[in-house]
Amino acid sequence: MYDRALVARGELEYLGPGRLGKRVDEPYTEVTTIADGQVTLQRGKRKPRQISLQRVPELEGFLRGFSALLGGDAQALQRDFELTGSGNQDRWQLRLAPSDKRLRKRIDAIVVDGSGDDANCFSIVDADDDVSIMMVEQLASAPLPEPLTQKNVESACRGGDAAK
Amino acid sequence: MTGRSGRFALLAAWIVALVSVAAYTAHTLKISTDLRSFMPPAQSADQKLLMEQIGEGPGSRLLLLAISGDEESRLAELSRTFSSALREDPRFSQVINGEFDAGMLDETLLPYRYLLTASFDEEPLDAAVLADELQQRVEDLGSPAATLLKPILERDPTLEIMKLAEAWSPPRQPLVRDGVWFSPENEALLLAQTHAPGFDPEAQGEAIAAIRNTFDAVKSAGDTAELVISGPGYFTVMVNADTRGESEWLGRISTVGFIILLLLAYRSIAVLGLAALPIASGALAGVGAIALVFTEMHGITLAFGFTLLGVAQEYPIRLLSHRRAGETALESVRGLWPLLLTAIASACIAYLAFFASGVTGLMQLAVFTISGLLVAGFSTRYLLPRVLPIRFRDAADTPGLGAVWNWLEALPRPRWLPALLCVIAAIMLWAAPTPFWQNDLAALTPVPQDLMQREGRLRAALGAPDVRYLLIVEAEDAEGVLELSEQVAPRIEALVEQGAIAAAELPSRYLPSLETQRARQQKLPSRDALEAMLDEASAGLPFRQGLFEPFVDDVETARGLEPLTPAAFASSPIGARIDAMLVEREGHWLGLGTIIGMQDAEAFGALAAETGGAVRLLDLKGASESLVISYRERILQAFVIAIVLLVITVFVAFRDVRRAWHVLAPMTLATILVLAVLRISGFSLSLFHLVALTLAAGLGLHYALFFERTTPDAAEARRTLHATLVCVISALLVFALLAWSSLPVLRAIGLTVSLGVGFHFCLSILMARKGRSGHAG
Repeated sequence: MYDRALVARGELEYLGPGRLGKRVDEPYTEVTTIADGQVTLQRGKRKPRQISLQRVPELEGFLRGFSALLGGDAQALQRDFELTGSGNQDRWQLRLAPSDKRLRKRIDAIVVDGSGDDANCFSIVDADDDVSIMMVEQLASAPLPEPLTQKNVESACRGGDAAK
Repeated sequence: MTGRSGRFALLAAWIVALVSVAAYTAHTLKISTDLRSFMPPAQSADQKLLMEQIGEGPGSRLLLLAISGDEESRLAELSRTFSSALREDPRFSQVINGEFDAGMLDETLLPYRYLLTASFDEEPLDAAVLADELQQRVEDLGSPAATLLKPILERDPTLEIMKLAEAWSPPRQPLVRDGVWFSPENEALLLAQTHAPGFDPEAQGEAIAAIRNTFDAVKSAGDTAELVISGPGYFTVMVNADTRGESEWLGRISTVGFIILLLLAYRSIAVLGLAALPIASGALAGVGAIALVFTEMHGITLAFGFTLLGVAQEYPIRLLSHRRAGETALESVRGLWPLLLTAIASACIAYLAFFASGVTGLMQLAVFTISGLLVAGFSTRYLLPRVLPIRFRDAADTPGLGAVWNWLEALPRPRWLPALLCVIAAIMLWAAPTPFWQNDLAALTPVPQDLMQREGRLRAALGAPDVRYLLIVEAEDAEGVLELSEQVAPRIEALVEQGAIAAAELPSRYLPSLETQRARQQKLPSRDALEAMLDEASAGLPFRQGLFEPFVDDVETARGLEPLTPAAFASSPIGARIDAMLVEREGHWLGLGTIIGMQDAEAFGALAAETGGAVRLLDLKGASESLVISYRERILQAFVIAIVLLVITVFVAFRDVRRAWHVLAPMTLATILVLAVLRISGFSLSLFHLVALTLAAGLGLHYALFFERTTPDAAEARRTLHATLVCVISALLVFALLAWSSLPVLRAIGLTVSLGVGFHFCLSILMARKGRSGHAG
């Protein structure tokens, strides 16, 4: 959909089971809160928008998975996703393919790259191969790979150049 | 016509005639179950609209489905597969279960969104608006909503499809769990709208069978889930089956009881068979008369008609009980005929009241019973005596009868008793806890209360609009209705702000007028202008060059479209809604807006005054109550006439004021007592109670007539008692059974008539003239 990458910076918060907070500071400001089955989007000075997750069951599955991932709830994860792991203790990758048929039409997988006890990147691979990659922890503050291509960012996530 | 062979020839001819009439009517008569034929006739325009809406309106074609009995996720899954299977069925115009449906506008209608949406009314689509929208889409793509938006973004960057879907979503949404509608009781809910009207039992029966089969097909073998169906169509089918089923088994039980009673009373199988002939002739004559006068017969008429014709069984009973030694049957019947004729004439006159009601069902009932009674009466007079066997048992010799007679004679008959009963009845009437009249139309329909409650609960859970109020928008044509409804929309919004209503749906909510659509079309930019705008707006944003080509195409198509009319829109699901909201009647068009959460109906008064009544509130409950009230007034008038006629008949027959008084007084007092007992037991009177009171009065008249007859002959007095007892017991057999029916209408009639028979019998004995024969036997 885009012909170049869009970079956004902000903060991701895990607020307990089923509750997530995401704040974008740049290039626009947005606060997303997910709690009690409601997604609240607050952008700049606009009126906050609310979406009930029950209206969008596939989104609910996705967010449930994401929150289970951050909360380390393996049982909940296995209910909503097919898990495949690869790599070793230092550089591992976890691939979560949604088990919900409707969600699979939209999202191929959530891929988590990490090393040791830390996750480095969360990538959401859409069914049409668009990718949004969230770099977290130390990667978030490291300089972005040059040139900013999907390949370079992915290799940074796998403990490549950027980490050095 | 004397001798054995003559008797048998006549009997054979009679039976052949009956069989051929039976064959003819069974062949030609159609049974209908349109409940409206048992409802009062509509007078005012509002009442006509009400009856129409009850029968064919979109509300009456809705079936409410609830799936329960399993885990929530399984129920939701079932709801999805079940509804998509039902959508394939051509019997249903719409099946919805709450699933989010971006395809509310089908592919061919999609470009119309730029004529339907109000987004660019205030600020036209220009570079600044577009830039703001595109910036928002960038933000959307980085948010959890991205997966939802991506499929439509290229075609619809300003999200008009979403905005329309939001604007069109029901003002009050049912609970949604796991993506589909649920009730608070954890049932998955679906709405299915049939093409067939709600009161077509055959088509509704097919639709319901299709629903059940589809449900059985989609659920797997081990499933515990259960399907519950409700809605007007379901009630039609159910009432149809129930009426038939109940009248069948009630009929069977009363027949068996009746046979036993007659065998006990007359100890002859031949007499039993012959005594059935007049009533069989009467019933067939009734059905035949209906087949001649009306094209079809209502199922309820059939059930009631046979019940009411039970009165006619009195005629052969009187003949059989009053036969005495040394007298031929013909001589006996000649002696009885003046009294019998008075009874027949007065009963027929009473049933005329039904005919005057103007309700098709009741008119049929009147035609059925009057022709039935006449034929039963005259065949008792002219045919039955000629086929009865010569040998018989004198009813006066029935063992124990003399003792009963002596006991009854010995009862004290205080002169103050009628006065005391009057006072007691007056106190009971005064102390009655409920309103005197039942004005609720729903109480007339024989749908059991618990099913009505379930219907109400499902409707509430589905957030279905208020069934009581409709907002009428009236104009010359459909376009006029849309224009007027656009005009008053801000006023309705103001009423929502004021809190007079929670929400309202006007026709213009789904389809703007042609004028508005043209105005929007004019403001849309040309292809070149739009492309330039897009370039300017997406500068600095990462969108791929040419990504929005489908959007540019759609806007260009929209500029050249012929504006959307209700007819052209009707093929889509939303179009079907607007179609249902527009009704043509008598050269005018009515828009039927729905109201949700009415708080203050008075607030609509000003709007109606300003528009000269073109925009007005229709209170369906008010209309139905006014319908019932005007109907009752007519029926009461008819009753008054019937009573006057009845009194005149009795006076003419007796030519004696004192004797006539002795017949009419117990009858009147018994009727008042029945009324008092019903009222103190908490019944509000419906039309069916009135009908039943008349029937009971007709029976009471028989008892009073025969008891009033003074006779010096003790044996004859015993015959009168014998005949009356057989009549009372046979009436109680039929009506006490009806009082146990599950159908409210049958119950009302059964209870009222049973009470009536009891009171009439006791009072006609206790208030009979003094100075009759002394001790008997």
